[in-house]
Amino acid sequence: MAPQQVTLAQKDRKAFQDLLSCYELKQLTRGRKVADQILKKYPDHGETMCMKGLILVHLGQRDEGIKLIRDGMRKDLTSHICWHVWALVQKGEHKYEEALKSYMQALRFDKDNFNIVRETSVLQAQTRAYEALVESRLHMLRLRPNVRAHWVGLAVAYKLSGNLVEAKHVLEHFQGFLREAPVNDAEYSEFILFHVRVLEDLGDLQAALALLDKKSKDRYVVDRTAIHTFRARILSKLKNSNTESPQAAEWDTRAESEWRALLDLNSECTDYYHAVLANQGIDLGSLDDDSRTQALGLLSEFSAHSPKAYAPRRLALTVAEGDKFKELVKPYIEAGLSKGIPSLFSDLKKLYADPFKRQVIEEIVEDIRASSPSEPAEYLWTLYFLAQHYSFLDRHRKALDILNLAVEHTPTLPEIYMMKAKVLKRAGDPYGAVRSMDEARALDGQDRFINTKSGKYRLRAGMVDEAEEILGLFTRKGAATPGADLTEMQALHYLVEVGDAYNRTGKLNLALKKYYAVQKVFESFREDQYDFHQYSIRKTILLPYLDMLKWEDEVHSHPAYVHAVVSAALIWIELYDDPLLGKSLQPSHETTESSKKALSKAKKAARRGNDPSLRWRIFSTVSNQSDDKGLDAPPPKDDDPDGVKMILADDPLERAAKFLETFKECGKHIMDVCLTNFDVAIRRKKYMQAAQALVRAHAVDAQHPEVHLRVVQFGKTGESFMAYFSVSSLSDSIGSAVKSVLHETLIALKPEEISLDVFTSQYLQSHSTSSTVILACAKASEILGNPMKDIESLLFTSLQDNIELPVEDALRILSYLQRIKSTRAEEFRIACDNKFEFSTVFKSSDQQAALRQQCLLEEKEDCEDIETL
Amino acid sequence: MNIRQARLEDLPGMQACNLHNLPENYTMKYYLYHALTWPSLSYVAEEHGRVVGYILAKMEEPEEHDGPEKSEQVPHGHVTSISVLRSYRRLGLAKKLMLQSQEAMSTIYRAAYVSLHVRKSNRAALSLYRDTLGFTVKSIEEKYYADGEDAYAMQLTFNQS
Repeated sequence: MAPQQVTLAQKDRKAFQDLLSCYELKQLTRGRKVADQILKKYPDHGETMCMKGLILVHLGQRDEGIKLIRDGMRKDLTSHICWHVWALVQKGEHKYEEALKSYMQALRFDKDNFNIVRETSVLQAQTRAYEALVESRLHMLRLRPNVRAHWVGLAVAYKLSGNLVEAKHVLEHFQGFLREAPVNDAEYSEFILFHVRVLEDLGDLQAALALLDKKSKDRYVVDRTAIHTFRARILSKLKNSNTESPQAAEWDTRAESEWRALLDLNSECTDYYHAVLANQGIDLGSLDDDSRTQALGLLSEFSAHSPKAYAPRRLALTVAEGDKFKELVKPYIEAGLSKGIPSLFSDLKKLYADPFKRQVIEEIVEDIRASSPSEPAEYLWTLYFLAQHYSFLDRHRKALDILNLAVEHTPTLPEIYMMKAKVLKRAGDPYGAVRSMDEARALDGQDRFINTKSGKYRLRAGMVDEAEEILGLFTRKGAATPGADLTEMQALHYLVEVGDAYNRTGKLNLALKKYYAVQKVFESFREDQYDFHQYSIRKTILLPYLDMLKWEDEVHSHPAYVHAVVSAALIWIELYDDPLLGKSLQPSHETTESSKKALSKAKKAARRGNDPSLRWRIFSTVSNQSDDKGLDAPPPKDDDPDGVKMILADDPLERAAKFLETFKECGKHIMDVCLTNFDVAIRRKKYMQAAQALVRAHAVDAQHPEVHLRVVQFGKTGESFMAYFSVSSLSDSIGSAVKSVLHETLIALKPEEISLDVFTSQYLQSHSTSSTVILACAKASEILGNPMKDIESLLFTSLQDNIELPVEDALRILSYLQRIKSTRAEEFRIACDNKFEFSTVFKSSDQQAALRQQCLLEEKEDCEDIETL
Repeated sequence: MNIRQARLEDLPGMQACNLHNLPENYTMKYYLYHALTWPSLSYVAEEHGRVVGYILAKMEEPEEHDGPEKSEQVPHGHVTSISVLRSYRRLGLAKKLMLQSQEAMSTIYRAAYVSLHVRKSNRAALSLYRDTLGFTVKSIEEKYYADGEDAYAMQLTFNQS
């Protein structure tokens, strides 16, 4: 039975109103006093308890406040105030779905409470409940029809829910009664562009164009670039979808002139050149001789028109072939080298997909070098280009020889040392690379870019502490550690590299912590949109807002996020496969002591100063002086900073699955996500999920070696699964349904009539020169139960001259041999050490430790040098 | 190389570029705030999908407490951050990015001038702003940067057409 509800007497109701207004005005201590007075008389008044609890949360007494709110709610479940308070608390904990439910409860008891409806609408936008958002927006408009923003909000809600017709009606209605629209107003201008876009998306192209033309003529739309872009795009669409129309020719001419107007505003925008060419019916993706000539003619015209623009010249190099290419690329290279443009190689490298172009470029640059340019700088940049060229072609010795010449010629240019570092890294010598990058850094200690590279190279060499030390030269001095500042500043490149460094060196606990830190960054990206749901409507800057929603929806497909989640999931799998691994990573007492010391050092540093100058507070209603701590839950204390407890978790696979689930829809087409989903599902014996993940991976790239491996694994698992069911009395309807799905999946992935063994040898034969295929087939062979010596001799074929074997693949093969406890692992290591000139990653671990130590010793001296500068 | 208006999906690339180059860094929300308030003022230089240079800019509208100086009383643009990766220098990218943004400040917001801050020790940037782009030093802001370094406050007045 519901508890007896307490009702206040007339004069106490006044006190309660006073309490509410204290809260509104954020007079928190007074509010608490008023609440206490009411509670003295009515200790069970639910609404007062909730309000006092809310005030306590604001005052930083979060746990106490929340307890009071819970108690208060129990006393009065029919009060909108209680539900509203609870919703605010949940919102502060970023539990948006739950908060939304509480708001809906609050509305049941006070359906026309404007504030509650408004806050509900924000949560509906945040949780993408667009149909419900339309309802809330309609409700808000009914309650307050005279507020401009509510019309705008409704139109946006309709657009988001996909109801463009209604969006259009609302916009027209709104425009109809809007008097005195402001001219030359950037925000109103954005609003008109939104209206035009709604019409355009509806397919009402002529109306869109007419509105845009009229509003820009009357100076309501002020963004010139936007006007031309919209017009050009709409005209091109009109022309393409109405080729028979008598107006087609006119649209064509107008579109052309709009694209050209854009080129006049920005001659370096590649997109515009593509558009102009497309408008003339030239598709750069499929050129024939005629259209190629036509495209080159136009691009040459544009180059003449904008003599300083790179874009049309560069695009012509992609388009041109044969002698024409030679003719165009020569002056392009010569200009780049004489100006000393460091990015020339990276600019041209895409052309290397065509061996003819690659050859032409090599000849031209070698000719320039042979002619020994009179300008010393030009000679130097020519060497710089050639070094990159040969390194790209894996001719490391030649690249390094050229760089040594360059150093002799000019020992003071950091770029040469940076390039040497890169070449060494590619050749498999991370320690030499560290040294070379440090030489570059010593030449320009003021440059954060070189510093960042230097840190990254140290991480690649497994030198995490040394990397932090260097990176700390540019991080905020008040931060607890350099890493803490980089984490706070959302430096994804750092988090990923440091996680990988730990991962490679077997510190799986620390690696996991960094990968989860990446997740936190993306969680904060998701949180960031919250305030804009109202802000953007109020400002009427709507198209960027819609773009933001779309970006947020796909934000998890960012490569750093994919990498972090997949790497973490693989670590969880490793911990599952080897249940002793987590224990083996527990620290000894000695290291605990040293990490305690480091911790107290870090704490001291953090106390030393917290520089507020770069901490941005936008939208924040919390003022600095007050006691108001706001409603946002503080980040939970991390009582396991090194992740040593975490890696002992007894549910590693569930954790992996949970992390992978954060991809939702956007993971479907990402190979690594599909593969890892499979790996987790198959271990969890969730065969339907495994089948689904495998089918998706297969759809992304059926010939991928990792897909082949998993088809074999799936087939093998299926066999034992089926065998189990055929003898088991449990073969009920569920079992047979699963069985038939597994069977169907398998025959879709592999011809039914051939065995897994034959399937693998056929696959190997058709891709026999790829080292990744060799490794995948070796693993498949292991699954199929073939003898160790067969697996070993297959892996050793990767060393043959006809096989393309990058250093990273050789390392993967080596670590696989070690994992399966092959007696030939050492033999493979030594063979690689001989095969890869310059490489140090195949040295014994003792030798590598010494190499690391060597860069360390030199490093110490370097540091002292810098400090004394 | 492609120079174009910054889009929402460029923001992580701009943030990464900024973190590689400069000691003044910002969290994503500040980038979002720019992109959703002054969507036409920020530009990127992008090569094969990677942001190699950017300008992040905003408008400053006159406010009561902005001080007595008259120039403070008109809307003007402000460059929050501009940088180009070291390996993409000498292409004139900073200049091209700056000119695109200035054009937008002037035509869309009728900005009278654009302002920015530069570290006193950053001679390369100072020379770019002063010699190549025509900025002048208006004042010195003491201890403007977190590490205690002074900043030159620089301005460039637009020709009103």
